[in-house]
Amino acid sequence: MTPMSPHLIWFIPLLPFAGFLVNGLLGRRLTRNAVTGVALFCTALPVALVLWLTATFRAEHLLSLTTGHHIWIQTSSLQIAFALAVDHLTLVMLAVVTGVGFLIHIYSAGYMAHEEGFWRFFAYLNLFMFFMLTLVLSANFLLLFVGWEGVGLASYLLIGFYFTKDSAANAGKKAFIVNRIGDFGFLLAMFLMIAHFGSLSFGSVFAQIGMAPQLHGGFLTAIALCLVLGAAGKSAQIPLYIWLPDAMEGPTPVSALIHAATMVTAGIYMVARCHAIFDRSALALAVVAIIGALTAIFAASIGMVQTDIKRVLAYSTVSQLGYMFLACGVGAYSAAIFHLLTHAFFKALLFLAAGSVIHALSGEQDMRNMGGLRHRIPVTFWTMTAGVFAIAGFPGFSGFFSKDEILYRTFMHPGAMGVVLWAVGLLTAFMTAFYMFRLWYLTFFGAQRFEDHPAHAHEAGHDDGQAAHGHGVHESPWIMLAPLVVLAILSVCGGWIGIPFALGGNNYFEHFLAPVFAGNVSRQMVETAGTGHGMELLLACVSVLAAVLGLLVADYFYRRRPDAAAKLALSLRGLHSTLVHKYWVDEIYAKVIVMPLLMLGRYVLFYGVDLGVIGGGTSAAAAASRGAGGLLRRMQSGNIRSYAGWLAAGAAILLAFTIFGRGLLHIL
Amino acid sequence: MVSMNVIRLLPEIILTLSGVMVMLEEPMLPAARSRKSLGWFAIFGTMAAAAASLWQLHFPVGTAFYGMVQVDAYSVFFHLLICAVVLVTLLSSLDYFDGFASHSGEYFALVLFAATGMMLMTCSVELLMVFIGLEISSIATYIMAGMRKGQGASAEAALKYFLLGSFATAFFLYGVALIFGATGSTGFAAIAAAIPGSHAPMLVVTSFALMLIGLGFKVSAAPFHMWTPDVYQGAPSPVVGLMSTAPKAAAFAVLLRVAFTAFPTLQHRWSILIWVMAVASMFIGNLCALLQRDVKRMLAYSSIAHAGYILVAYTAFRADGIAAVCFYTAAYAAMNVGAFAVITQVSGVKESLSNVEDFAGLAQQRPVLSAAMACFMLSMIGIPFTAGFFGKFYVFTAALHAGHVWLVVLGLINSGIACYYYLRFLISLYSPGPSARAALLRGKPLSFAATVAIALCVLATLALGILPGRVLHLASRAGETIAASVTQ
Amino acid sequence: MQVNNHILTLIIFVPLVGAALLALLPVRGRTIQWSALAVTLVTFLLTLHLPAHYDYIAGGMQFESNHVWLASPAIRYHLGVDGLSLWLMVLVGLLAPFGVLASWRAIGDRTKEFYVLFLVQQTAMLGVFAALDLFLFYGFWELSLVPMTLLIAIFGRTENRRRAAMKYFLYTFITSALLLVAVLWLYARTGTFDFTVLSQMAAAHHISTSTSALWLASLAFLLAFSTKVPVFPLHGWLSDAISEAPTAAAMVLVGELGLYAILRFSLGIFPAESHRIAPLMIALGAIGVVYGALIALAQTDIKRLIAYSSLSHVSFVVLGIFSFTVSGLDGAVYQILNHGVSGGALLLLAGFLYERYLTYDMRDYGGVAQRLPWMVTLFVITTLSLVALPMMNGFVGEFLILSGTFGVHPRWTMLATLGVILGAAYMLWMVQRIFYGSLGPKLKVLTAGIDVPDLSAREHVALWPLAALMLIMGVFSPCWMRAIDLSGVQLASASKPAATAPRVIVLSTATYAIPDTKTRSAQGGK
Repeated sequence: MTPMSPHLIWFIPLLPFAGFLVNGLLGRRLTRNAVTGVALFCTALPVALVLWLTATFRAEHLLSLTTGHHIWIQTSSLQIAFALAVDHLTLVMLAVVTGVGFLIHIYSAGYMAHEEGFWRFFAYLNLFMFFMLTLVLSANFLLLFVGWEGVGLASYLLIGFYFTKDSAANAGKKAFIVNRIGDFGFLLAMFLMIAHFGSLSFGSVFAQIGMAPQLHGGFLTAIALCLVLGAAGKSAQIPLYIWLPDAMEGPTPVSALIHAATMVTAGIYMVARCHAIFDRSALALAVVAIIGALTAIFAASIGMVQTDIKRVLAYSTVSQLGYMFLACGVGAYSAAIFHLLTHAFFKALLFLAAGSVIHALSGEQDMRNMGGLRHRIPVTFWTMTAGVFAIAGFPGFSGFFSKDEILYRTFMHPGAMGVVLWAVGLLTAFMTAFYMFRLWYLTFFGAQRFEDHPAHAHEAGHDDGQAAHGHGVHESPWIMLAPLVVLAILSVCGGWIGIPFALGGNNYFEHFLAPVFAGNVSRQMVETAGTGHGMELLLACVSVLAAVLGLLVADYFYRRRPDAAAKLALSLRGLHSTLVHKYWVDEIYAKVIVMPLLMLGRYVLFYGVDLGVIGGGTSAAAAASRGAGGLLRRMQSGNIRSYAGWLAAGAAILLAFTIFGRGLLHIL
Repeated sequence: MVSMNVIRLLPEIILTLSGVMVMLEEPMLPAARSRKSLGWFAIFGTMAAAAASLWQLHFPVGTAFYGMVQVDAYSVFFHLLICAVVLVTLLSSLDYFDGFASHSGEYFALVLFAATGMMLMTCSVELLMVFIGLEISSIATYIMAGMRKGQGASAEAALKYFLLGSFATAFFLYGVALIFGATGSTGFAAIAAAIPGSHAPMLVVTSFALMLIGLGFKVSAAPFHMWTPDVYQGAPSPVVGLMSTAPKAAAFAVLLRVAFTAFPTLQHRWSILIWVMAVASMFIGNLCALLQRDVKRMLAYSSIAHAGYILVAYTAFRADGIAAVCFYTAAYAAMNVGAFAVITQVSGVKESLSNVEDFAGLAQQRPVLSAAMACFMLSMIGIPFTAGFFGKFYVFTAALHAGHVWLVVLGLINSGIACYYYLRFLISLYSPGPSARAALLRGKPLSFAATVAIALCVLATLALGILPGRVLHLASRAGETIAASVTQ
Repeated sequence: MQVNNHILTLIIFVPLVGAALLALLPVRGRTIQWSALAVTLVTFLLTLHLPAHYDYIAGGMQFESNHVWLASPAIRYHLGVDGLSLWLMVLVGLLAPFGVLASWRAIGDRTKEFYVLFLVQQTAMLGVFAALDLFLFYGFWELSLVPMTLLIAIFGRTENRRRAAMKYFLYTFITSALLLVAVLWLYARTGTFDFTVLSQMAAAHHISTSTSALWLASLAFLLAFSTKVPVFPLHGWLSDAISEAPTAAAMVLVGELGLYAILRFSLGIFPAESHRIAPLMIALGAIGVVYGALIALAQTDIKRLIAYSSLSHVSFVVLGIFSFTVSGLDGAVYQILNHGVSGGALLLLAGFLYERYLTYDMRDYGGVAQRLPWMVTLFVITTLSLVALPMMNGFVGEFLILSGTFGVHPRWTMLATLGVILGAAYMLWMVQRIFYGSLGPKLKVLTAGIDVPDLSAREHVALWPLAALMLIMGVFSPCWMRAIDLSGVQLASASKPAATAPRVIVLSTATYAIPDTKTRSAQGGK
């Protein structure tokens, strides 16, 4: 096949943008089919392009295709171009974004079929695709930042899609602002790079670092840490993860696409992309690893007690992102990207399946009001099962290989830290298995805990999944199920491209990415070689055991002894409520950061400084001059005698000044 | 020779004659008749006088009547200024007293006599002559202040002005007496010659101080300003317009001539006095005006402040300082006479509108008049492209050249304070007023003469602000003549 | 070329002539509005001549016209435009028609006075940007004060209007009085008002030998200009003036004039002194960014929120100017343009909301999005431009400013960068309070029965061009930067004091700045 002309790469992001413009400006007048048509066309074509690109990609050279030097910002001290670049890493991301994105577009066509502002939804969705593709394709930090903030905007708009609901509006705002905190770090990182490298293009920055092998730590650590802040915001890591669970206010397809598969992984992508910087700063790497591990276990623990099906998945996303961070932290970038890939498959699947469940129950999201659904909606059930086993990391499923890779690399990480982090990861693996099977059981097994009247559909106050056409519980239409099936297949087989040598595979994936993480990967190899495959197998077995344990515990609590869970919760009341209230983190932030800021603004600065000091000072000056005028006017009695007196007095003063003036001046 | 004497005093002679003519005319007219005709006669007299003093420029500088008067660019400048002011005043008040006061013809005569006196002051180089001119003009203005017969305020104003005025002139006369005692002469040149060094006997310095008091009263500089607000408030608007500009200009002219040509060597002594008077006048005038609600009183205080600005230029003992004084008096005359002309037209002889608030809504009823007023107010604030700004500009430049930075800073801070009350008046002109007063504001249509008068003032204000070249040239010529006589 | 010699005079005085004509027109139907629109459009088209015919290769002052106005004192009628003022002229030309459209219905009676004053104001502003003679500049500078004050005082929204107008006038006039002293002092020293001459003398240190006098003069300049901007502690007049001023006036009330004056005259005539004061100004800028943002968070009145947000935005510009880096200066000038466009659009939108619901109090609002989809669309676009979303104009400016300043004053830049977060917070909160959620109670009562119309054709015409411009300026910035960079480079290099390196000066005058200047500037040195 003939290699693709570099200029065609422009169409990958720009087509969705065209879709956004068409639907955004004319959507109100178009029919639903037309809107869907435009949206799907504008996401399908990029898929084709990406496939062509992948098929004809020449693996020899790095950053192989670089296109476009249209200048964006040009001053005599700084020049930034609209430059796109494609390398192996980009290809993986492109595949995920376009592929999963396209599937979710299809799904949404069914899911949102009966929503108000259908056109608005697809316009935003295409806008998101545009920014996400810009993000992964950009060849310099600033363009990456464009995508970075752009996806934030898209997520703001989509979370707030039901803007008449205050909770939705709040969630959208929260997401944007928290992301802004991350972007603050990103901006500082870019300022530092400009100050030290005078450029923002990947090529020149990384090249300059490469040419200075003596560079370690120092300002590179500063840059790396600022980038970590950015990544933590976008990828919902401690301390900035708080926005992601609230983001579930958005329609479920949005949660699947933006808050599971693609946008939230931007942070991982960015760290991997900047590995050249991170590799030079042990501190930054350690920070990344620790943040990742903490977030993983922290979110998993919360996920164990959530009752809202989407929130469980949200926290599981946070926790899985923690895994990827951990991987980056221990330098296993390719493992991180591998997990990113498989996670995109199964987490998108899980969300869409959950959406299908919610759809079936016309808006019900609370798992306590579900149960026994496995016969009512079989397709959803089986696809979701695939997803659950995949994320729980059962052998053969995609999740197994990627998670196993991460745990193994963590264990291999030099020093005690490696082992500790591995233990944390393992515990998290157990928890993950537990809460996923908990969800599985609560939703599909046991007694049915909801009453299905057709009427129920209508007054269900919940906008989400309000695709409520009259009848009660029902399987979703095929336009929604088809993507589920595809994703289910991917969740099962997706991992096979990365089967490690230890398991007789050839780890194709890592080799594919090798050129990007050159130097770093080799180091890993050396370590691996040192220990041989035995250890890797052993660790694999351990993590499988953890998963199985999780399954059994969940099985015990939610199938055999449905009441035991309540009992346990009661006996561990304190711990339980702490988890239910998510460690009260939101409340703490509100009390410690938000409120004080607002108080400072309103009372100290506005009433105190602005109205008090500055305003008061002004009026005081005015009052003073008026007062002086008032005093002087006292002289004006209107009485001639007093006037004559004043005149004489004035004369006296003047004469005195004339005669003794010199003396006065000498004194003064 | 005689002819030369006559020519050198021609403007004064013309004015006197026409004044007498008007006096003679007045009783002949039946009481009911309008006095407009007399007014027009007076106007032509003034024009003739102006023409005469322009004609004087063609002759070499020289004295007349045994060195009593000296005609030079300086005197001509002030002659013209006074003529212009008188002209506008007459135009704006042609029918002012009609049907209000009997024998209002006298008014025109008095205006002319006052003008004569002022002109004498500006061209005389001899203290007694100055005193005579001062008295002629003063007495005429005393009477004019009481011209609104039967109005208590007017009579009170006249009386106050008269009593305090004569009190002040007494100081001046005393000063003259002392200097005559000290130097044996009352001619400026002779005095200057009699005071060789900077160490003059206390007698001389004191005499100058006494004269300063007398003149300070005339220019209503603090601390001799007490009379101003009451008199301005009570006196008829056109008269106030006249006496707030022309006599002041004359008094400034005299003060300048005396200080620069008679006491040049004592500059270091009197400039301190004037420095103090300038600062005091600026602050007292502006601060008091802040609280004034009565427009005429407000303008009275503002005129005190403007006197202060003019005095600032004296401290720069230089030609450009003199030019600045000349220019500023002209600029101030243009805007102030204009302002009073507008007030004359709007509130009439009955003074129906007095407070700032009363003028609210004028813009809707009489857009043109209030536009003119706005122009004058902006000029008083000192907005660029108006006479007021260029005036301040020259004054302060002169002071800076002489190195009085702090005086300049104080002055400009004052102009900042001042803008408050001018602006308040301006804004109230343009803010919607109660419909009840609409008819009152609409008043009687503008007469041709008044239109011409106000138009002249607006033109002058803008011309002095945008293309001051001509006037400036004349002013600097005037300045040079004085400076020349200093250096001799 | 004949045209180029007179184009500036033409541009400046077309609005004035228009004002005169308007004064003569009868107030019938919408005659006044239409003719005002015509005048402003003509002016705008004329201003477009400048970038079209500016010689970017040659750079420097162009379209000059230089005639003697007065022989003594030596005042010249000297106009000229360079990369700095080029687009500012166009901006003023551009905003005027939108101002007219904004006032179309908002100004019901006394339209004649309004549009006359509005056009005079435009003349004054154009004059300020074109004048190269200090005296002429001062003239236009003061002139710009009067119509604005009257517009606020006469057409203000509440009873507080006179106070607001007076405050604005006094603040700016009194500080300008000090400016006049400095100008006169300069004239007394050098005998010229001509900017080009003065700047050359300044470069050669020929203005005055007494550093203290120069220092005071430069302070007088800076004080006057900073008050007009306004820079942080001098913004006492801002919120009242903005909240009272009619939309058209508010659009040109903040930023342009003062910031341009600083760039042109403070930096041009007092390079060394500007470097001395830089640490203080940087600190004030950074503080102003955060201060304005935090107070904006506390506002419930839309107009006042806009006022404080513009304080925050102009503070960014101050930051950029006094970084004395090319990026910083370029970004600063660019940000002035952005503030004009985006801030103007926001004021327009607020005005249109007011025309519908007769309130600026956000507590009365809510849920408007359902009623006015187009309004919310444009409002959000404007918001995004103001929170500096990449690909919008605001981002290019802020990024250049911050990246330029960071190299010199990292700590203050960090503080200012916090403004990026706070800015998003208060803007999005405003959007939410106005448009999202359920319909506000007061609005329910107010609009019971009647359905409030979405944007009218006039309003679409007034808003879309600006919205488009935000995007275009965000993507094709080089088109503007081409000219701006010319002067940016020149300012950054020319304002380097020849005698001593700037950093030394910074250290030597640490006392003028706030305490940790030393450490900061030392850091900047690294």
